[in-house]
Amino acid sequence: MLSYNLKLAMHSFKRAPSLYFLVLLTLSVGVGLLCANLALVSSMAGDPIPEKSGQLFHVSMNTWPNDQPQSEPFHILRYREAMKISESDIPKHSAVFYASGVYARDSESESLKRFDSSVRATTPGFFPLTKAPFAYGNGFAKSSGMEVVIGAALNQKIFAGANSVGKTLELDGELLTITGVLKPWSLRPLFYHATEGRAFNLTDDIYVPLETAIDLGWSIHARTSTTVSYKGVQFTRDRDVFYLQAWVELEDKTKQEAFQNYLDNYSQTLKDAGEHPLDILNELRDVNTWLSELKIVDQKVLAFTLASVLFLCVCVFNASSLLLSRFHSAKFEVGLRRAIGASNKNILIQGFTESVLLGLVAGVVSLLLSWLFLKLSITFLPDLANIAVLDPKLLLLGMLLALVTSVSSALYPLYRANRFTISAELK
Amino acid sequence: MLIMNNVSRIYRNDTIKTHALRDFSLHVNAGEFVAVTGPSGSGKSTFLNVAGLLDTFDQGEYTLDGVNVHGLKDDDLSRLRNEKIGFIFQSYNLIPDYSVFDNVDMPLRYRNFNAAQRKRRVEQSLEKVGLASRANYLPSQLSGGQQQRVAIARALAGEPKILLADEPTGNLDSLMARQVMELLHKLNQEGTTIIMVTHDPDQAREVNRNIQIIDGQISDFKIYAPLQSSQVSQTETVKGKESVDA
Amino acid sequence: MNIKALFKSLLLRKFTTGLLILQLAITLGLLVNSSILAFDAKGKISQITGLDNDNILFMSTQPTSGSYRDLDYYRSIVTQDIEKLNQLFGVNSVSITNQLPIATQGMSTNIHDLDNPDQDRTDKYLQNVQYILTQENLADAMGLTLAEGRFLNKADQFDFGSEQKRNIVVTESLKRALYGDESAIGQETNIGFIVGVIKGITLDPTLPSDKQYGVFVNTVMEYIFTGRFYVLNVEPQQMANVRSLVSETILAVQAERDIFRVFTMQEHLHRFYRDDTGLADLFLLLCGLMLFITAISSYAYSQFHISRQQKFIGIRRALGARKKDILFYVLTENWLVYSFGCLLGLVVTIGFNILLSQYISLSKPDIALFLLAIGVIFMSGTVATWFPAVRTSNIPPVIATRTV
Repeated sequence: MLSYNLKLAMHSFKRAPSLYFLVLLTLSVGVGLLCANLALVSSMAGDPIPEKSGQLFHVSMNTWPNDQPQSEPFHILRYREAMKISESDIPKHSAVFYASGVYARDSESESLKRFDSSVRATTPGFFPLTKAPFAYGNGFAKSSGMEVVIGAALNQKIFAGANSVGKTLELDGELLTITGVLKPWSLRPLFYHATEGRAFNLTDDIYVPLETAIDLGWSIHARTSTTVSYKGVQFTRDRDVFYLQAWVELEDKTKQEAFQNYLDNYSQTLKDAGEHPLDILNELRDVNTWLSELKIVDQKVLAFTLASVLFLCVCVFNASSLLLSRFHSAKFEVGLRRAIGASNKNILIQGFTESVLLGLVAGVVSLLLSWLFLKLSITFLPDLANIAVLDPKLLLLGMLLALVTSVSSALYPLYRANRFTISAELK
Repeated sequence: MLIMNNVSRIYRNDTIKTHALRDFSLHVNAGEFVAVTGPSGSGKSTFLNVAGLLDTFDQGEYTLDGVNVHGLKDDDLSRLRNEKIGFIFQSYNLIPDYSVFDNVDMPLRYRNFNAAQRKRRVEQSLEKVGLASRANYLPSQLSGGQQQRVAIARALAGEPKILLADEPTGNLDSLMARQVMELLHKLNQEGTTIIMVTHDPDQAREVNRNIQIIDGQISDFKIYAPLQSSQVSQTETVKGKESVDA
Repeated sequence: MNIKALFKSLLLRKFTTGLLILQLAITLGLLVNSSILAFDAKGKISQITGLDNDNILFMSTQPTSGSYRDLDYYRSIVTQDIEKLNQLFGVNSVSITNQLPIATQGMSTNIHDLDNPDQDRTDKYLQNVQYILTQENLADAMGLTLAEGRFLNKADQFDFGSEQKRNIVVTESLKRALYGDESAIGQETNIGFIVGVIKGITLDPTLPSDKQYGVFVNTVMEYIFTGRFYVLNVEPQQMANVRSLVSETILAVQAERDIFRVFTMQEHLHRFYRDDTGLADLFLLLCGLMLFITAISSYAYSQFHISRQQKFIGIRRALGARKKDILFYVLTENWLVYSFGCLLGLVVTIGFNILLSQYISLSKPDIALFLLAIGVIFMSGTVATWFPAVRTSNIPPVIATRTV
């Protein structure tokens, strides 16, 4: 019976090709557009590291030295707090870092061409904490030393993707050795640095030990707040310059509580010494809590997603009208089939098969359109460039949506078709 | 074979009640060939619709081949229609873009036959109507008479107990009409029960049992001897109860 | 025209008519709100910034080589750059600065009058005053006009490493915030002595116009590594030519530089709002699609109902209706449906506007826009159903008599 119904469906399509084409088109466009938007939203709202997002915590403290804080608590820290966090053995791993930028060049290359590279000056705990995937070598062991880890993209640009462990890079006039090369690594969103509009940046090109970067004076490329003047980052260790961010990995509730106490005790010692004018307010926020607090989901995309939901409704209504007129003109054949013994159920299943088949084709076309639309959306909203990707679960969603819309637009027409009085049509 | 007792079919809209069939009773035995005549609007089509389970009825009893259709669900009615009844329409009602084979095959699809069984039955049916060589033709490539014969083959494919024909020769010229009637007579002689609605009194006289329907009731009950023998007719009149319109 | 009869005939086909009305309503809602977005975006990019949009050219650069760590070397290169750029034909003035107006991020500081240290507590905006490092030519390069006092001069650039209090220039709104209507010249703030006030310019378009607080200091040469932007004042007719030459000019001085972008003030403004214009464009695209689909629906709707009414239309013709009458009848039927659609569309428009406002900022709909959108819908609908309507009017009266 299934193959017969499929055959009948194909026949039906051939009889009214332009109508079915229109139905296919409207459903595909509607579903495709919505899917593309959902892809964007899910990229933005997704959990970038689901296997441990509940165990990684961003640290914010309230150690601003006067009573006019930028915000309470503050998401960036001074060197002294950052070190305090680094010293603690409560977290399984901790990472303290700041963002910088440098021009990189293979020191042995004859060409003077330098590549603009984003830099993460960090303590070595960064790598296990974020589960940075290594293709070659491994992370640096200490927070100092003239060593770097580079990302896959930079490795591709400078060394054509080869194993460059052991090679030296010339960075801002200094020579540093590569200890590790990462695999292509995409974090959507970039949870470890989601502030200052960087949530959809790519992972960094160069990872350098924190102290090394500070000593070399590599400038801070993200938010810095200070109450004093300073001539360069190398002078920030003993000043009230806030620019470092800290993440810790705390495996369970006991560790979380222990670390919270650790921070609070530290803040208390500052208070006792008269150096903590604000209230003690140290906050640990796990990945998803942190991301949702930062509200990184682009509201514009949400607005457009809403519009595309309405658009899909219009498409379904359109398909429904078209199918109604189609089923109406098919009345004769339906009546005939009923007369020769097809039950209502048979006819329903026949119509249902048709709409499922249509839905499957619409699904495939809509996925193509989704992909196209994502590419197009980058021209309209260039900031979306890194997140406009279709991941597999969206493909599944697209197919499902196409099927659901196809069947639901056929529901009322099928219902009406079922209520045709058989005798009237056959004279 | 077909037993209707006091069947009434009433059409209602907002203001008017129409009795299309009124206290209608009819017994048809297996192997009979019944011609149904009557003026326009008399209820012939309704009778055929009800008999063919295409339409419901409001009062009375209807038993087809021993099965009482009262209270049967759509699925069961459809199965009954599929297995026991074959329809022949005035305008053949073939699907224009299906081949002859596919047209005849249609009712078989709603039964659990496999491809081989269906093929066999279709071929047998087409043999009976003499169109086995035209299995791959499209209806548009056949004459009116041939198309009607395909329709008859379709009606026969499921080996029904009873054929219901609604003016089967109404759209055919006299030569083709003749051929179709000969076929129907042949089938009847082979044992198929046939009920045929017709306007043609000659056709009516050719069969051994006539019914006239007027105003939703059987008004005349004639049994004719075959045309060649003497035109002695016996008339029985069966009157139903009077009923009042609302 | 028997409206009542038309209305009744519509009621008989509630489902299809209802669907079409819904589609029309949603289309109208989207059309109006998309237009609002488009007009809003247009308004933003045509706003008055107080800056001379046509004359100003920016170039953002970054040195790539480590030799620039030697700040004196860096400074010598910059000095040569400025000299060479000044020599280009059409260039009136060249300067260098750390950040540009029409931006939300950058260096900022807090400021208060020394005699009034609580000022930045009462006015929170005083804690985030844009801190612009530059040199003495910026006023000419960027076409800044003075409200009082003078702009920075060479003498304001103290010796490097000096701890002396600087001379600063402030924006008009900042001066008003600190000193009201009094003169600001000579006043001492925590950052420095005010020597000049420049007329209102927009530093951060997302802030109110009276909160455009900015401070200019002649320290870019000292902190030369912050000097990311060259600012050139160019004769408008020479703009195209100058733009094509600026990169090679400075690369000729020293090639180890990355030149990110060369752009005019106008382009800078557009870029700031590129998300707004981008979103507006996306919505308009969606509108276009929706109109198209609703037109298809309209066509299918007409087509479907006409085919069912063939016999009745034939009868009307047989009874004396002219082709024109039938055409009018069909069109009127459609217009009735559109009217209902637009009525419901009013509700949808307002509702959608409110819903969108939760996510983005957009103006409220106004009557003119609404009427315009209704006009568009009526027109596109009429076009869509024109052919079915004409075909219907061509149905011959003989159809009334056909029984087959």
